[in-house]
Amino acid sequence: MDKKTVTTIAHLSRLSLDEKNEDKITKDLENIIKFVDQLDEVNTKNVEPLASPLEKTAKTRADNVTAKNRKEIFLERSPKSNDDYFLVPRVVE
Amino acid sequence: MSIQYKSIKELKNMLDDRVISHTELIQETFLNIKNNSGLNAFITLNEEESIKKADNLDNILSSGSLAGIPIAQKDLFCTKDLKTTCGSNILSNFIPPYSATVIENLENAGCISVGKTNMDEFAMGSSNETSFYGNVQNPWGENLVPGGSSGGSAAAVAAGIVPAATGTDTGGSIRQPASLCGISGLKPTYGRVSRWGMIAFASSLDQAGPMARTAEDCALLLNEMCSHDEKDTTSIDEAIPDFTENLNSSIQGLKIGLVKEFDLSKLDNNVVEVFEESKKHYESLGAEFIEISLPNISLSVPTYYVVAPAECSSNLSRFDGVKFGKRCDSPKDLEELYIKTRSEGFGDEVKRRILIGSYVLSAGFYDAYYKKAQQVRRLIKNDFDSAFKSVDIIMSPTTRGAAFEAGSKGDDPIQMYLEDLFTIPANLAGLPAMSIPNGMINNKPIGLQLIGNFLDESRLLQAAHNFQISTDWHLKTPKGIKS
Repeated sequence: MDKKTVTTIAHLSRLSLDEKNEDKITKDLENIIKFVDQLDEVNTKNVEPLASPLEKTAKTRADNVTAKNRKEIFLERSPKSNDDYFLVPRVVE
Repeated sequence: MSIQYKSIKELKNMLDDRVISHTELIQETFLNIKNNSGLNAFITLNEEESIKKADNLDNILSSGSLAGIPIAQKDLFCTKDLKTTCGSNILSNFIPPYSATVIENLENAGCISVGKTNMDEFAMGSSNETSFYGNVQNPWGENLVPGGSSGGSAAAVAAGIVPAATGTDTGGSIRQPASLCGISGLKPTYGRVSRWGMIAFASSLDQAGPMARTAEDCALLLNEMCSHDEKDTTSIDEAIPDFTENLNSSIQGLKIGLVKEFDLSKLDNNVVEVFEESKKHYESLGAEFIEISLPNISLSVPTYYVVAPAECSSNLSRFDGVKFGKRCDSPKDLEELYIKTRSEGFGDEVKRRILIGSYVLSAGFYDAYYKKAQQVRRLIKNDFDSAFKSVDIIMSPTTRGAAFEAGSKGDDPIQMYLEDLFTIPANLAGLPAMSIPNGMINNKPIGLQLIGNFLDESRLLQAAHNFQISTDWHLKTPKGIKS
């Protein structure tokens, strides 16, 4: 873990880090990664990864409309919107 | 008659016998909340609405099993038209247009949601020190942390302000604060309680549960919290028992497992003494102890600190300032809108976990970390599956010690992560687990953890209730709480 890696993952996370704290963050992340590195020593050959404690999930249901469209209330409570859309700075010039 | 420190059951009787009206109960609850505002247990109060509901209950007969019972809701549950911050600055203006299923279920049973409780930001913390809204004070002593992340809920119940609160538990966030505040708290089986409307931290680990003074009250709450919910694809569609039904049945012959790999010699002598006392007590109730081996249990904390941050980094990507929550001022483009909003909105611990998550999920590292951790997770779950072939429940201390002072863990995150050593395994395996008060260390409470088999909450509650009807640790109250 070095500052360059930290800068890359910060960008992937869409976070900007305080320059004053960069050394501390790098060191913390390095220690955490070192701590989880002990998993390396475990023999997991042929062990199926467990993504959820419930292996029978994602039950399907009939494709019926169950919720009504509440566009107005969601738009009204957003940071910036017009009648139909959430507004963000212009993307296409 | 004072309502402070009354259990749900006692308050129900008082309401039924008209010793107190619904309105009086709620008014007095708000008086107690305000007199103890120094605890900082609440972020938002719901006074007007609560009094309106109580007044309604005084005028019409309600059939709800918890009609009029005041409850504090962790600020992680969406509550319709009531601010929901999740302990974060980024949601400091968020007013959900809908309520979580858990909230709906409890309110349908007649519970009155009096307010939203303080918590570690996005439930990431074990001391409530990461909340944007300030530390919560443990009622048991000045400058003591209440534990976390459901710290406000635990403190409010421990101070006798409310008889009930909701919590959520991703790695111990119900049980650890229950232990440090001297109350009872239950994390149900993963999938037992709907996660719909709960702000997600780590989706494969998060589970909501009750926090109250007694195991019996936890059972009353759990009866109403559970439901099969089509809006949550991980909600279990299994029969929901009446969790109060077996509370009073004897535990003669109950087989309790003690984990060989939990090295108690590294703990404070007092913790070991308290634990040994509880063992003796269970023996006197007819339980039998069996040593079990969970060979991979020591890998729980490192496994958790890959799985939880990975899921957190993915879940928290939704906080981007576009559709809800706070947005930064005058961003020059979309990229800056995301980056500035998130950097201003999240605190240090949340950022740290997002960064770890992004790292372990990034190209080239996914197999080495995330997949590896999921494989170890299966080994840990398999260990529990074999252990439960020979025992009914598993017992351990909940925490490594009693409440510690704010700031005392220094700034090494791993020290704080190890706080959840005993609680994390049940989340990884999806098992129900609870903490009940079982002793005092230097005038501070501490808890006993009981872990149950899949969907076996009834047995946990029965074991806990049997302990509580023959001990008085759960009846201890802190000094200095105003009424």
